[in-house]
Amino acid sequence: MSEKAEKSIIKIRGLSKTFRGAGGEVQALTDVDLDIREGEIFGIIGLSGAGKSTLVRCINLLERPSAGSVEVDGREMTALTRAELPEARRGIGMIFQGFNLLMQRTAEENIRFPLEIAGVRRSEARARARELLELVGLSERAQAYPAQLSGGQRQRVAIARALAARPRVLLCDEATSALDPTTTQSILELIREINRSMGVTVVVITHEMRVIEQICHRVAIIDRSRICELGTPDEVFIRPQSEAGRRLLYPGGEPPQSAGACGAALRLAFDGEITDKPIIAGMVLATGAPVNILYASTRVIDGRTYGQTVLRLPADGAAERRMLAYLEAEGVTYQLLEEGSFDA
Amino acid sequence: MLKEIFSAEMLRLMGAGLLETLYMTAVSSAAAYAIGLVIGVVLVIGREDGIRPMPRLCRLLGWIVNFVRSAPFLIFVVFVMPVTRFITGTTLGATAMLVPLTLGGAPFIARMVESSLREVDAGVIEAAQSMGAGAWQLVTRVLLPEARPSLISGAAISVTTILSYSALAGFLGGGGLGAIATNYGYYRGNSQIMLVMIVALVLLVQLVQTVGGYLARRADRRIK
Repeated sequence: MSEKAEKSIIKIRGLSKTFRGAGGEVQALTDVDLDIREGEIFGIIGLSGAGKSTLVRCINLLERPSAGSVEVDGREMTALTRAELPEARRGIGMIFQGFNLLMQRTAEENIRFPLEIAGVRRSEARARARELLELVGLSERAQAYPAQLSGGQRQRVAIARALAARPRVLLCDEATSALDPTTTQSILELIREINRSMGVTVVVITHEMRVIEQICHRVAIIDRSRICELGTPDEVFIRPQSEAGRRLLYPGGEPPQSAGACGAALRLAFDGEITDKPIIAGMVLATGAPVNILYASTRVIDGRTYGQTVLRLPADGAAERRMLAYLEAEGVTYQLLEEGSFDA
Repeated sequence: MLKEIFSAEMLRLMGAGLLETLYMTAVSSAAAYAIGLVIGVVLVIGREDGIRPMPRLCRLLGWIVNFVRSAPFLIFVVFVMPVTRFITGTTLGATAMLVPLTLGGAPFIARMVESSLREVDAGVIEAAQSMGAGAWQLVTRVLLPEARPSLISGAAISVTTILSYSALAGFLGGGGLGAIATNYGYYRGNSQIMLVMIVALVLLVQLVQTVGGYLARRADRRIK
């Protein structure tokens, strides 16, 4: 984020959305206020059905709000006429979980699509498409049809397409949820790179914490149609204040609180950087001190570890220091959830 | 016997009948497709949750389509005879039959087009909307091109349906292979002539289906 990032590019005030279905009314969003700053990567996380997808779709009016206002880049979206809306939407790119590419068009033709409908000249559109194909690393696949591309390549084409008309905002609706961990990683890096080099404000919708941890500058937790927590990923994930935040962090129930003298609680985050070597056992052997595993949810995919583990360290300052040094040497990301309460 | 069926005169008659059938089928298919395509598009985009809701027009068109589709074709031909006479000046012959064939085929084509367009992934339409595509652009650049393979298959089925309607129209004074089958095969009780006409119609249907299937496969970029 740059210094001049104080200006809000998206201002949401009193946003509510009610769906009328066969089973009565469903309140998807309730009185949401949100400011997204220019140039930041803003994450919105929540369990499925929390309303996060509805929220992002209200930004480009794919969903019309029942009440409230949505201002994007100084323009009140809800006040636009049917004739004005397409033009305003061109300033907001969007990518989707299912990629949503035109299946009967090549990669390059897909990227040209938003330029075609904006009336850009053919030669100019072609040049822009080439440029974007290079940016997303698919120059060689320009003439391939989506059916011939892998999931990760399809999402790259979708990103290039979303950026073709030079939008100031990029909305990502569960953009990596259909991808495997390695591909997710490369797509997230691409999004971060685009944010940095082009200054595009990015709004990321996800149910995966590691997506937020890896690329977001700020995050909002949405639960039961309301925003219940907002801050930097560190603030929100280390000490979640809301019940929804704690549920996201510990899907299997919160780690037990210890009474009396006890060591620090440490959260280890595995984001696939570490191959499947026995980090915790190695640490215990190397430091000669035991730990208590309070919570663990890790899985190994393609020899790489993803997920998190919460440890209770021994109530011993020296052992704690040795353990932290070991983790740093191994390159494991960790966060101190609780300081130890003992005489050092 | 065979000599009688395939006499020079009979062959000339059959050749002319074949040309007439092709003429009726081609012209009325093209006209019916133009009408059916428009109705089919409106039936899809005009739904309450469509990209340009027109619920009243949609209901009216749906009602008309169902009405025509539920009338047996022979009865429909009689029903529209005043219209036929008004447009062509007669109710007999191949050209007169273009009117009922077109009006009877269009609702069938509208339903075929509607079902093809419904197959287009809602996510793709939504993505195009998010890029600022208006209703007209969604129809011409997303719905129709994305549904192209399915539209081609549907068109082949529609042509074979109109072809069989045209044979039926032979009973009511239309021309073509159907008229030969009626006049020589049915009224004169010549079962050989009847058989030859049936074989000719079956071959035509097969030809249209095969060509349509080939074109649809070739147009589809999803499988390679």
